[in-house]
Amino acid sequence: MIKFNNINLIYDDKVLFKDYTLNIEENEKILISGPSGCGKTSLFRLLLGFSKLDKGEIHYNNQILNKKSIRKIRSHIFYLSQDIDFRNDIVENIIKEVFEYDLNKHLKYDISQINKYMIELELDENLLSKNIIDLSGGERQRIGLLICFLLNRPILLLDEPTSALDEKMKNKVADLLIQKGKTVLIISHDEVFQRNKNYKKVELTNGNNGY
Amino acid sequence: MGTTDINALSLTYFLIFLVPFVFVCFKVKLNIVNKVIYSVVRMVIQLSFVGIYLKYIFDYNQPLINILYILIMITVATFSILNSTKLKIRNMFMPVFCSILIPVSVMLLFFNNAIISINNIFDAKYLVTIGGMLLGNSLSGNIIALDNFYSDIKKNEKIYLYSISLGGTRIQALAPFFRKSIIASINPIVASMATIGLVALPGMMSGQILGGSSPAVAIKYQIAIMLAIFFTQFFSVNLSILFSIKMGFNDFDILKTKIFN
Repeated sequence: MIKFNNINLIYDDKVLFKDYTLNIEENEKILISGPSGCGKTSLFRLLLGFSKLDKGEIHYNNQILNKKSIRKIRSHIFYLSQDIDFRNDIVENIIKEVFEYDLNKHLKYDISQINKYMIELELDENLLSKNIIDLSGGERQRIGLLICFLLNRPILLLDEPTSALDEKMKNKVADLLIQKGKTVLIISHDEVFQRNKNYKKVELTNGNNGY
Repeated sequence: MGTTDINALSLTYFLIFLVPFVFVCFKVKLNIVNKVIYSVVRMVIQLSFVGIYLKYIFDYNQPLINILYILIMITVATFSILNSTKLKIRNMFMPVFCSILIPVSVMLLFFNNAIISINNIFDAKYLVTIGGMLLGNSLSGNIIALDNFYSDIKKNEKIYLYSISLGGTRIQALAPFFRKSIIASINPIVASMATIGLVALPGMMSGQILGGSSPAVAIKYQIAIMLAIFFTQFFSVNLSILFSIKMGFNDFDILKTKIFN
């Protein structure tokens, strides 16, 4: 479904990937780990078209990632960044704005669905009227996951989605992600994912991926 | 009835203030003497030149020359904006030039036709002076808007990209940045409209009264010019961000770093 084909990437004068190849099948759950600065997030950024390859190709459903296909590819990907980069606003406004975006026009802003997922993620209802900046790290992560569930896109790129959650919630999220039947790429240092047999482990190393 | 002329030599009497000025700067360790002197010298030289060529422009008063003069002023303004905002001339000249040219020309035609209804709408006396005021304000507005917009995007690129990943078009993802910079750039003029006349008389009004106009005429001109300045600046900053966006981002919606100096 997703193929990184012989890619090269140099970032800040550091070779992150050299002739690196990675194949991801549909519905696969991939756990990416490795030391910081080894290129985990860069892999996500490449797939989103936020960084440019120095060499090689990325394929999605037999379609090459280029300026023509990038918007379509992005529309199939939900990305949860490590810092959950929302601008500061009231949570409800942020969610509404996401639904106004062109690529999500086919979706309906449905408060009952939001409430359902909020219960699932053990989020308090009054969080919706709070400023995102006043939320705790764990609450922000779960708001990110809430939007992830609402958008219901086939591929999930999750960068440390559970780092600020308690043990019980980490387990719950790990299971929820499996139940959803999506293709999941997850960057995490959490044991929960390491232990879980449903996640295929991909280990990146510092400076010599694909050498 | 005209204004009493100032003897050029008597302008040098201002040098008297130089002594206490330098003294104060020295005492409170204000390290700005050189900078102030540089600016004053530039002002004197620039205005002297303006005085010389404006005399010819008013004497000839040829529509084509007057229009050319406005175009040159817009070009200079564009360079000045790009210089202050550290944006590359090669990429950003056209977008910024057009975003000044369009609203300024529309407003000048409107102003001279509909507001003051003069026969020769290309009369230097109106075209050059009103145009200059519109331009000066569009210049400062554009510097604030573009500087604000691009430094904000550079600083918060992750937020912008995150909106893109969530499904926003480039315009949708940039909208919050857009709104913020437009508000920052028009805030000063909105505030000054609200307080104008309360404390200080605006320069144009004082000038007209000194030049012999009645306060009633001067006030009407002042209201007209404030509105003209406001609308011109508003549309100009909107256009300059909009046009520059076309040049500032690549096919993958990523901010091009090569647009910055």
